[in-house]
Amino acid sequence: MLRLELGKPSVGNCDGVDRRHALRLGATSLLGGLSLPTLLELQAKAGTGREVRAKSCVFLFLEGGPPHQDMWDPKPDAPVEIRGPFLPISTNVPGTFITNQLPHCAKIADKYTILRSHSHRDNGHSTGYHYVMTGRRANFADGDNPVPNNDYFPSIGSIVARELNQGGAVPPYINLPHPMQGGGPGFYGAEYAPFIIESDPTQPDFEVRDLQPISGLSNGRVSTRRKLLAGIDRLERSRAQGRASVMSTYYEKAHSLITSSEAKRAFDIHSEPDDVRDRYGRTQIGQCALLARRLVEGGCRFVGVDAPGWDVHFNCFPSLQTDLIPYADQAFSALILDLEERGLLDETLVVMMGEMGRTPRVNAQAGRDHWSMAQTVIFAGGGVKPGQVIGATDKHATAPSTEPISVNDLLRTIHTLMGIDPDRTYLGPLGRPVPLVDGGKFIDALV
Amino acid sequence: MHPHSSAPEARYQLAPQVYLAWCIFVVWGLPMPSPAVAGLIVSPTSVVLDSPEASQQLIVSLTDEVGRRDVTGDIRMSVGDVSVADIEGRALVRPRSEGRTEIVIQFGNETVRVPVDVIKQRLPDPVSFRNEIIPILTKARCNSGGCHGKAEGQNGFKLSIFGFDAESDYAALMKDGKGRRISLTQPQTSLVLVKGTSQMPHGGGRKIEVDSYRYNRVLRWIREGARLDPVSSETGQIVSIEVEPREQILLANGTQQLRVTAIDRSGTRRCVTVEAEYESNAAAIADVDQRGLVQASDVPGEAAILVRYLGHVTSCRVTLPRSGVMFERPAETNFVDKLVWDQLGRLGIKAGSAASDSEFLRRVYFDTIGTLPTSEEARRYLADASTDKRDQLIEELLNRDEYVDYWTMKWLDILRADQLIVTPQGTVAMQRWLRHCFQQNVPFDQMARELLTVQGSTTAEGPGAFYKILKEPDEMSRAVSQLLLGVRIECAQCHHHPSERWSQGDYTALAGFFTGVKLKKLPNGTEAIVSLGGKDLPHPRTGELVSARALGAAQTDLSGLSDRRVALADWLVRPDNEFFAKAIANRIWAHYLGRGLVEPVDDIRETNPATNEPLMKALSQHMIGVKFDMKSFTRTLLRSRVYQLSSESNDSNRDDLQNFSHATYKALPAEVLLDAISQSTGVAEKFNGWPDGYRAIQIWDNRMPSYFFQIFGRPVRATVCECERSGEPSISQALHLLNSPEITAKIRHREGMARRLAKSELTVDELIDELYLTALSRFPRDEERALMADAFAVPEISRQEAVEDVLWALLNMKEFIFNH
Repeated sequence: MLRLELGKPSVGNCDGVDRRHALRLGATSLLGGLSLPTLLELQAKAGTGREVRAKSCVFLFLEGGPPHQDMWDPKPDAPVEIRGPFLPISTNVPGTFITNQLPHCAKIADKYTILRSHSHRDNGHSTGYHYVMTGRRANFADGDNPVPNNDYFPSIGSIVARELNQGGAVPPYINLPHPMQGGGPGFYGAEYAPFIIESDPTQPDFEVRDLQPISGLSNGRVSTRRKLLAGIDRLERSRAQGRASVMSTYYEKAHSLITSSEAKRAFDIHSEPDDVRDRYGRTQIGQCALLARRLVEGGCRFVGVDAPGWDVHFNCFPSLQTDLIPYADQAFSALILDLEERGLLDETLVVMMGEMGRTPRVNAQAGRDHWSMAQTVIFAGGGVKPGQVIGATDKHATAPSTEPISVNDLLRTIHTLMGIDPDRTYLGPLGRPVPLVDGGKFIDALV
Repeated sequence: MHPHSSAPEARYQLAPQVYLAWCIFVVWGLPMPSPAVAGLIVSPTSVVLDSPEASQQLIVSLTDEVGRRDVTGDIRMSVGDVSVADIEGRALVRPRSEGRTEIVIQFGNETVRVPVDVIKQRLPDPVSFRNEIIPILTKARCNSGGCHGKAEGQNGFKLSIFGFDAESDYAALMKDGKGRRISLTQPQTSLVLVKGTSQMPHGGGRKIEVDSYRYNRVLRWIREGARLDPVSSETGQIVSIEVEPREQILLANGTQQLRVTAIDRSGTRRCVTVEAEYESNAAAIADVDQRGLVQASDVPGEAAILVRYLGHVTSCRVTLPRSGVMFERPAETNFVDKLVWDQLGRLGIKAGSAASDSEFLRRVYFDTIGTLPTSEEARRYLADASTDKRDQLIEELLNRDEYVDYWTMKWLDILRADQLIVTPQGTVAMQRWLRHCFQQNVPFDQMARELLTVQGSTTAEGPGAFYKILKEPDEMSRAVSQLLLGVRIECAQCHHHPSERWSQGDYTALAGFFTGVKLKKLPNGTEAIVSLGGKDLPHPRTGELVSARALGAAQTDLSGLSDRRVALADWLVRPDNEFFAKAIANRIWAHYLGRGLVEPVDDIRETNPATNEPLMKALSQHMIGVKFDMKSFTRTLLRSRVYQLSSESNDSNRDDLQNFSHATYKALPAEVLLDAISQSTGVAEKFNGWPDGYRAIQIWDNRMPSYFFQIFGRPVRATVCECERSGEPSISQALHLLNSPEITAKIRHREGMARRLAKSELTVDELIDELYLTALSRFPRDEERALMADAFAVPEISRQEAVEDVLWALLNMKEFIFNH
């Protein structure tokens, strides 16, 4: 399927390290002396020059724009129309305060890092999703755009799938439970599109699209079908070439997804003990976070959790207080503790953010509006130095008072933490090289 | 093994050409071969090194009975006086001090002597910033798109990409950065040197070694006052570059040293082998390093080595024949066969066997009309004993309604008929226009003219909506260029195209044809395209007005024209237009043969040559010869034996992906596959909001939500690039075909194929025949029949269930999912 060409150092990178490139030839076997993981390791080190810990990323995407000042960046000294009704509480890190709506997270502030100085200038939802997921400003107007809306530029998840896929039974890039708006593969094509489960893991009859055994097939028919398929495969194997033989490998993967215990286990949230499921919360974000952990254990490289509902323009505090923040608080803290308990936190990068923050001033309808000038981003695991607060906003949480962290700074940092060279390029359909990340700086303070 | 490959039939003749291929003398430009040793050729015959950093690449080759091969790296050579000159690496001659000496090359008992003159070491000509410093910045990749060449520069230091703008690069070095980048008083402390050599921390690492020739040249330039030479200075502008050899046949794992020579306005030639940049378009066949050494692999084929120096581009074609192959030349139907067999003979690749009737039937249906043959059609065709039945079938298909459906769909994609942007009415208007064109077989030059010069309502039948997608004149010219000329010029918007001849001036000149195009609101709320007048556009860098001019053409007289686009259309369809016929010929070829002769199909340039240039040329001529009649052109392709080759490969051609030695497995477009599934299961797809009876290839709504379309890569029509349609397989596709409720429902449907067949009187054997003919357009082989019969032999599985299971299995065969 892949031929890896390793003999020649190709044209040097800007980072001064020669990069090796993998070349797709449509041949049927893995040639070359190095295994893919070894190659990934080499590439990781060659591209960035730092030790790579993060093998996977769980991206909790709070869609709609979570209010930074009501969660992670409280401003108790500001007037009430700015600070809102929530009060700051201390965390287990002396000197770090967050709002009292995040009690679970307050107990484990030593396990993650709060970055308060993220800022950009795209104040729309669908354009913002596009921007955050691809690092490129959308070329369409904000509105009811198709999903995914990134026609051209690949999303971060598709990039990770392309760069780090290890070929296990579990797909490398998954969206839970719905497709992320900016989460498509762009010009990378269907091969790097997210695998989308399209069903709700909180439901008792939760199952993944096209993964459940076909209903009403007796055991006899299942085994007959298996025999037919194996027979066909035997007869076809010598004949199929090129894409068709690549398809054979996908058939094997699909078959193992359907039949392998590994993949079944990964998606089988029902096998989690009740107390674990309760710990995450029986909410969509909670159960998706739990499923994300299972998928990471199964070898998935990028799980994007689509957690909508944060666009709180009207009477926002009751819903923030009852549904939104507590669910996120519980899901995030349970995920971090669970990953840590299982020894996975170090190799799993967890990022929680939205496409923007919300307006400093509470509006006339007791809501907060779009505000991309300031947002707080939470990082944990994957080699991130925990227990820190990075950056700050001004006294009304309007804009960063420290150096602003851009979308591409975030993307560059995530790629780098995962051992992906952000400056690697692929030729786009227009024949121009498209780098994985469009500029940006690595956030040094994070490691 | 197919009989054709082991026992040649009478109609195959042995070709003498294959043996000749080994004796082809590659013709080199300069200089004359040295007569000293028969068989040993050293070039050049004398060397002049005229600056302290000059170098001259020698190439030594050996001629024997198998041809001419490069021995530059294998042969012993020495310098008479090493205080005058020296040899570095693979026969690169460098100066040491002024004087005369010679290079002595020994081969067996023979000796060749090459005199060397080293001059201008003590009082060299000043270093030219334009000709000598810029290439250093380029070669070290300082000005690449990932580093200081990107739009915002890198860490405050910004260079023009690939050094196309010497003035601004000079300013960036001299004036920006508080003058620390260049220090005239202490040249060695110039930041450009201490950072470039990594003596001071540099994000990009070490790009230049201290005391290397490059370092010394930059240092000398600074010592001489770091001046920007005027454009017309004595050192002269470089007007062209040459690479030697231009063509070379290599053995597996063989090597070839290249030499690159830059020629300035005065005709002076200088070896720039070490400063030029190299790139292979097929590294799997032959790769090249940055000293110009080509290394062949063991994969037979052809590679173009692209050479770039100071905005000039040239290429060397490397051919790697497979050794020890007796080429059996198959018969020829037309010129396509002749030129493909020629190439296969040259490369030593065996042609595959001829496709069987069923293979041809299924392929020609899918390719021509995007539709699977029914079992009835397959039966009839397979039983037909007439000798010209393939030709008859081709005629029949070209006249079917589905031909119009399918080609309309393909062109709606290419013309970006995205209903979100051009509105549903606009999409339908384009669809109707395309349907008309394919129905009437409107010649492509006329179609192109209509597309280019359309005026009037964007919702009336016609291609007007195309201009709704393109807002600015330069967007229009870019799209039209890629679409109709196969030339991608967008790079030239911001800089000289790094691997092509197009400049910002060419880009601006082309956009000048579209400056009169306006979208006018009509009283009834619709819009109309109007093109009236127009003006020339300013050059983005110099600000001077650039007259409208087509690519590579002379300036056009626009006086008396109300629509400037008419002049472009006139040029477009002229027979001497080198791009237009080639672009459409290549596009149609790629559709039927699975790969363009030039790939990507819309990236035609000197540095991306066709894999079979003579064939590309002949096809362009043929397109002109048939007056752009697309059916006629298609007929030629479909009748060729090349198109009618089997997709089965043999040991000799298995790895061949670009010479058309056997048919390839092509992904079926999402719509075609869905229609094939619907037809095989006997259950039409219900498209949400559409009346019954539509097939997927007729649906113009590119935004129709469909999980099937999404995972099988239906394009969203965001670009005019055909590459948008993804043929790449994915897990989701396999899962969906194997296990989805949707396809299960079709297989089980109460009025579906499986149930109908199960209820019939057919025997098990007949059932299996019918299922194979339905899904695969062929009868089963014995072992397949036996395998499928087993499903009917399981006692607890009913006849109907067994039919369902067999149908399910067939729909999951690669043979079903792909066009082959």
